Amino acid sequence: MSSGTPIVFVVDDDASVQRGLKRLLRSAGFTAETFASASEFLERYDRNAVGCVILDLAMPCFDGLQMQKALTDQGSLLPIIFLTGHGDVVTSVQAMKGGAVDFLTKPVTDDELLSAVRVAILRCEALYRAREEIANIRGRVATLTPREREVLMHLLSGKLNKQIAADLGTVEHTIKVHRARVMQKMQAHTLAALVRLAERAGIEATPPNEG
Amino acid sequence: MGINWVEIVWTMMAAASLTLGFVHLLVWFKQRSRYASLAFFMLATSVAVFSASELSMMGAQTPAAYATALRWAHVPICVIALSIIAFVHFHFGAGRLWLVCAAAAFRLLTLLLNFVTGVNINFEDVTALEHLTLWGGFVASVPVGIPNPWQIVTQIGNLLLVAFVADASITLWRRGDPVTRRRAALVGGSILLFIFGVTGFGMLILAGVVHAPTILTPGFLIIVMAMSYELSWDVIAAAQLAAKLHTSEISLRASEEQFRAVVESVPNAILLVDAQGKVTLTNPQAQALFGYAREELIGRPVELLIPEGYRSAHETFRQSHAAEARAQATGVARELYALQKDGREVPVEMVLKPMRTVDASFVLVSLVDVTERRQNERTAARQRDEIAHLSRVAALGELSGSLAHEINQPLMGILSNAQAAQRFLERDDVNLDEVREILVDIVEDDKRAGEVIRRLRALLKKGEMQKRPLDINSVVDDVVRLTRNDLMNRDVAVTTELTPDLPPVVGDQIQLQQVLLNLVMNACEAMEAVSEPSQVHIRTRRTDGGSVEMSVSDRGGGIPPGDLERIFEPFVTAKEHGTGLGLSICRTIIGAHGGRLWAENIGAGATFRCTLPLSGHAG
Repeated sequence: MSSGTPIVFVVDDDASVQRGLKRLLRSAGFTAETFASASEFLERYDRNAVGCVILDLAMPCFDGLQMQKALTDQGSLLPIIFLTGHGDVVTSVQAMKGGAVDFLTKPVTDDELLSAVRVAILRCEALYRAREEIANIRGRVATLTPREREVLMHLLSGKLNKQIAADLGTVEHTIKVHRARVMQKMQAHTLAALVRLAERAGIEATPPNEG
Repeated sequence: MGINWVEIVWTMMAAASLTLGFVHLLVWFKQRSRYASLAFFMLATSVAVFSASELSMMGAQTPAAYATALRWAHVPICVIALSIIAFVHFHFGAGRLWLVCAAAAFRLLTLLLNFVTGVNINFEDVTALEHLTLWGGFVASVPVGIPNPWQIVTQIGNLLLVAFVADASITLWRRGDPVTRRRAALVGGSILLFIFGVTGFGMLILAGVVHAPTILTPGFLIIVMAMSYELSWDVIAAAQLAAKLHTSEISLRASEEQFRAVVESVPNAILLVDAQGKVTLTNPQAQALFGYAREELIGRPVELLIPEGYRSAHETFRQSHAAEARAQATGVARELYALQKDGREVPVEMVLKPMRTVDASFVLVSLVDVTERRQNERTAARQRDEIAHLSRVAALGELSGSLAHEINQPLMGILSNAQAAQRFLERDDVNLDEVREILVDIVEDDKRAGEVIRRLRALLKKGEMQKRPLDINSVVDDVVRLTRNDLMNRDVAVTTELTPDLPPVVGDQIQLQQVLLNLVMNACEAMEAVSEPSQVHIRTRRTDGGSVEMSVSDRGGGIPPGDLERIFEPFVTAKEHGTGLGLSICRTIIGAHGGRLWAENIGAGATFRCTLPLSGHAG
């Protein structure tokens, strides 16, 4: 849940860099936690925290890209801002593909870093919100009966009541009743709103030729 | 009375004796130091005189005349005895002095007693004369009388003479060479034979045991002949010596000419310096080297050719060098300079060879102008330094990512801390303690960055090799710091085993760092294809041989035994992008430090060992 203040996790093997970044973040009103290695972070971080990770790309044993993958595998929503000593196109592309918010070259100025942190936190919050919404929509879908779910699928594929009735082997009136119940349970006032909800929850219409 | 042949023979013997005597008197006049010849002359003359005395003794008609003739015969006898003593003494160069004195003294005493006791030393009184007819009808008088008791002194004198001659002959015989042995046998033997035989015979006659005239002259003549023969040997030997001297003079002149030809034609500059430090000989090369003409050098002190700073030291050196006579090369280890006429100093290499003649000692100085060689050496050293520099830059290029990180870390710390401080200061509730802490961190980071840059700058610096005493462990520390990040990125663990308080070695910190850097990077590359955990082990220790060893071990599977030496050749590489110069340069650098670098296979990989001489042992 997006509860509490956002936390910025700083992972860098250099103690001086850790302290400097923590102070800078604190001066901008962020709460920061520091870790000396990727493994230490993966062990200790708060999985429900909102915030972001500032990650040094070059670290012993477990480098930044490996940690990015580990975080994704754990289903973490924390966006990553990479810091690196020298810009390397190949690794930066890999990092961005892996979902990094930004890829900054050391030494990085406060504006650059803080704006990246702000973007990352906003993204994190948005991710949490989106996840919440999807969960909500899925909850509504779960209240539908099997028949109503069938009607929903047909509606999403843009079929008219008459066609749905024909497909499902019933009369048009019955479909109308189902449709009203679906709209009510899904809290959608228009067909367009229903389609948008479904899209957001990742529900796709069944192909029309089915059955 | 027919022909008196005894008179003829005696006269002939006297004449022969005199002739021989005068011949040697002439020899003595030519060579006054040959006292033996003088002694011989005296002897021969005395023998001639004695021969006359003997004739008058044999022809005496009354006992009184015989006694008087015998008394006077003792004068030449005495001179003969003294001459023998003198001859043996001078010619043999042997014999005890006290025997010389004693024998001479008793002989003189005999002569004295001869005139003051009895009618002579042999007879108290001659009472009668017997007449014996000799061969050929010659009638000789033989005395009869009372023996003089003082005759004992004569016997002692004769014994002393025998002892002296025997002693001198034995001494001479023992000296051993054939010539002296011949001399001892011939002269010593004949004298002894005469004294034993002839005087014994005389004694018997005079004592009346044997009735015969006292015929001593032939015996004396034998001695004269023997001595003359002996002396003529010396004359022959002297002539031979003169001939030899002549040939050796010719060959001496030839060898002198050879010496001159050698001195003139060798490429080296050569000076011959006498014990007083004066130049006595030069060659054209020396004249060219120093810029002086020959006349300007001969007789001048050699210090003229030595730069002022070395002059006083040279003088003491020259004296001590003259004392120990052996050839020695100088100017190889330390730089020597020759001073030219125009004041310029020329680097030279010098070899000194002491020479001794009978009456003087010299030092032969051979010099080579090494200006060109020094220049070549300098050029070679500069090229070596340049190649070393290039390879250092290349090695650092490979490390550039790691080095950027090393610098960016502190810069990042500084920037974030500084900007945090700026933000804190903009607030109303400034926490000054916090700002102070920030400043401490900034200063630390700045130093850290500065340190990295210093190390980098040092490695990148292009310069001559500068040797000074250094701690090999500090070299290891610097390299471990520089490569730390790179090794981390390569997943290589570095372990060090540094022996504390190692004695200092003499070397160039940067070039030694370069060597270690190269070895460490090579070790990492060797382990890239190996699945086992990568580890580089750096070790320093003192060896038994009085040097310090630095070694780098990896676990990269080792080097094929056939390649252990080949890898140090230039352009031999196992890497895809290697120049193949790294190890060859490393070996050159260590060689220039007077050390050794080689590879061994130990355990799971290769170990590179590098020894360096201690600062006290530097060549």
